[in-house]
Amino acid sequence: MDTSALEPLDANQTASMLEDAGRRSLSVVPTGSGTKLGWTSSAGEALCLSTKRLNAPVQHFAGDLVATIPSGTTLASANAILAQAGQWLPLDPSYAAGATIGGIVAANDSGPRRHKYGSPRDLIIGVELALCDGRVARAGGRVVKNVAGYDLSRLVCGSFGSLAVITSATFKLAPLPAASRTVVAACARGADAAQLALTIASQPVTPSAVEIQAPSASLLVRFETTEQAADQMAATTRALLEQGGASTKMLFGEDEREIWNQHESSIWDSPGLVAKLVVLPTDIASSLEVLNGFGSRMEWTAIGRAALGVLLVRVNGAAADEHEVIARLHRHAAARKGTLVVLRRTPGREVPSLGDDDPNVRRVMDAVKARFDPNGVLPALP
Amino acid sequence: MNAGFLDKLATAVGPGALLRDPAELITYESDALVHLRATPGAVVLPASAAEVQAVVRLCHEHHVPFVARGSGTGLSGGALPLPEGVLIALSRLNRILDVDIPNLRVTVEPGVTNLEITRRVAPSGCYYAPDPSSQQVCSIGGNIAENSGGAHCLKYGFTVHHVLGVEAVLPNGELIQVGGATLDPPGLDLLGVLVGSEGTLAIVTKATVRLLRRPEAVLTMLAGFPSIDAAGEAVSAIISNGIVPAAVEMMDRLTIRAAEAAVHPNFPDTDAVLIVELDGPRVEVDELFSIVERVCEQCGALTTEVARDQGQRERIWKGRKAAFAAMGRVSPSYYVQDGVVPRTKLPEVLRRIRDLERRSGLPIGNVFHAGDGNLHPLICYDESIAGQAEHAEAVAAEILQYCIDAGGAITGEHGVGADKKAYMPKMFGEHDLDAMQRLRCAFDPDGLCNPGKVFPTPRLCGEVPGPYRQHPLERAGIAERF
Repeated sequence: MDTSALEPLDANQTASMLEDAGRRSLSVVPTGSGTKLGWTSSAGEALCLSTKRLNAPVQHFAGDLVATIPSGTTLASANAILAQAGQWLPLDPSYAAGATIGGIVAANDSGPRRHKYGSPRDLIIGVELALCDGRVARAGGRVVKNVAGYDLSRLVCGSFGSLAVITSATFKLAPLPAASRTVVAACARGADAAQLALTIASQPVTPSAVEIQAPSASLLVRFETTEQAADQMAATTRALLEQGGASTKMLFGEDEREIWNQHESSIWDSPGLVAKLVVLPTDIASSLEVLNGFGSRMEWTAIGRAALGVLLVRVNGAAADEHEVIARLHRHAAARKGTLVVLRRTPGREVPSLGDDDPNVRRVMDAVKARFDPNGVLPALP
Repeated sequence: MNAGFLDKLATAVGPGALLRDPAELITYESDALVHLRATPGAVVLPASAAEVQAVVRLCHEHHVPFVARGSGTGLSGGALPLPEGVLIALSRLNRILDVDIPNLRVTVEPGVTNLEITRRVAPSGCYYAPDPSSQQVCSIGGNIAENSGGAHCLKYGFTVHHVLGVEAVLPNGELIQVGGATLDPPGLDLLGVLVGSEGTLAIVTKATVRLLRRPEAVLTMLAGFPSIDAAGEAVSAIISNGIVPAAVEMMDRLTIRAAEAAVHPNFPDTDAVLIVELDGPRVEVDELFSIVERVCEQCGALTTEVARDQGQRERIWKGRKAAFAAMGRVSPSYYVQDGVVPRTKLPEVLRRIRDLERRSGLPIGNVFHAGDGNLHPLICYDESIAGQAEHAEAVAAEILQYCIDAGGAITGEHGVGADKKAYMPKMFGEHDLDAMQRLRCAFDPDGLCNPGKVFPTPRLCGEVPGPYRQHPLERAGIAERF
């Protein structure tokens, strides 16, 4: 076996490589484009198993609004194919341009459009897995409605490659919307923006994204539907936001694309640690207050799904400050049924263990891991 | 059943909540799939999660299998009891524990019925989206076990998309909290596998579900078509116009007739009817609905009726939801099948079903969720004619084969349970089933939690093969596992 990198061509070969690695007591890290490799603890020295050659043609069942996509295919190239029939896989994970299907599923990563479309675990309907014992297993299928057998496709969503290598996944798709409009609102304080996000969520409009930005205290509310409906809902939303004291503008076309690029870029293309804070939607405002409490001691940015209670927080400062922010946010979340997970570490810095796992739940997860990967070939559980 | 064990059970739940009298046990012999029956060894009616935990701990200690039961409306024998086991009926855990409208969350015990949640939150303009036909009586615990859908799951998804967290008793009696009121619990998505596991991995004792706001507008159309093919064409055209309706239901002549006889929904006398419902912001619904109307006309609709008010809408849905029960009006007995095909294969599969109807001599009614290809053929037979029940069962089995041939599934919403476990190997290979069994063994290594369901052959979990092997780099002290 070439130990520099493994590049299997299909599911069977992938499974054989895993089996072989197990026999030789080697560790393997399944890798797509590598954009989220740092999101879980690394297993030290390990072979990289690249999914890049798991790139057979996308099977698009357009009439059924379903597609089976090999794991090495990038989301962008899959969506280019689906678009030919006016459809798409409506995911917008971080590093969307390069992210592969296998990596997106393994990280269960989603972006602003989660507000309307959900995360990979909400859209996946079938999966093909290469297992550590050299076998290939499938679960689910290519029909949207299916309750036959255990849902292993959801099990691997967010598993970070710890149980098996995802070799292809089948998703339900959505029709491409005809038009897109984004309302941008500037508020006085982050807490105001958070409150307005909840107000919008309680209205009879159906945005595809309701994003908050802090410390700038802005809201981005996107509508993706027919042109007429997008225009009208954007107008209604602007009126609501202005009543709430915000100043607004509506963007479309190139300006709209640009503001969404900047939105994501403020987290991922900027230096520092990135953590995901998850709280109840009504606790977003107080979470932003925790960050505001740090004043100008360090640079920080937060963006996120305000109406779902998911924030990405980037902190760029001295190690001690970074730790303090994480500890404070973690305490804040934990006291409110929430969680905090560090996604991206600052290079060269360790993150303190947050250790709030329920030991009974952890035991079940460990038991699942032991059944799927008894020799510990694949990465540790997330 | 061992007297000492029974005494302990009585202590765990209180003597009044342990049923042993054969007359009392009859109620629990089957779920809604009544031809599969067994008398449970004992029935317990715990009133709290702690009592469920105590019962499961006892079962674990004494190596007694157990089966959880909600309202007993399941259609696959998922709650079929075991003569040597304990049936844990969860109907007394029926409290709504918390309603949080600003965050659109409700926390309930498993015995709360599906519709109760919507009733409770309706004054706030909210509802719980999954709407199985049995929603008036079926319990949330049962919905979680079966990953229930309903007519509106085409747009809104299944139970798994609406449950945010559960508290559950593991087969060894430990209590776990998986997920909760907030999204994205860290670690593996155990919630995603617990939902739909048909009561074989754990017993849910509490669930937090998310609510939706009532849409601003709902428009429902009933259209009569000269043939199933023409109605099917209309569904394809709606979807290819980029419209995802809230629901698309189809019924054929036999089920239309039955529904008319039972609840008089005033359906047109055509070969097929289509019910199409759009919901959302008024501006969007109005715009898209005009496309639906045009498409139906182009596809040869003979009649169209648009429900203008809630009363009209309810009448149309009553006709659809009564279809199963209404078959009793046109046939002494009937067998309900549940299969799924890719939506585009519907015409082809329905033609095969028509051929089968001719060959078998048994009338087959078809009512289905046309948007997602979920078929519910109703095979009519007469129990008083010797051999006809078996014949109907064989016909139902053949239809499942058509679904598999078309790339579909053996169940879309009723579950595998005891009823369809023999068909699992037709849909999944040995390796697929083995992978699923690993999950089961991780939760229930002793095989006590609803055994004999889902999988065709029971499997002994045994020990995990081999200990963790140390990586050479670990041995050399260069790397360590986290």
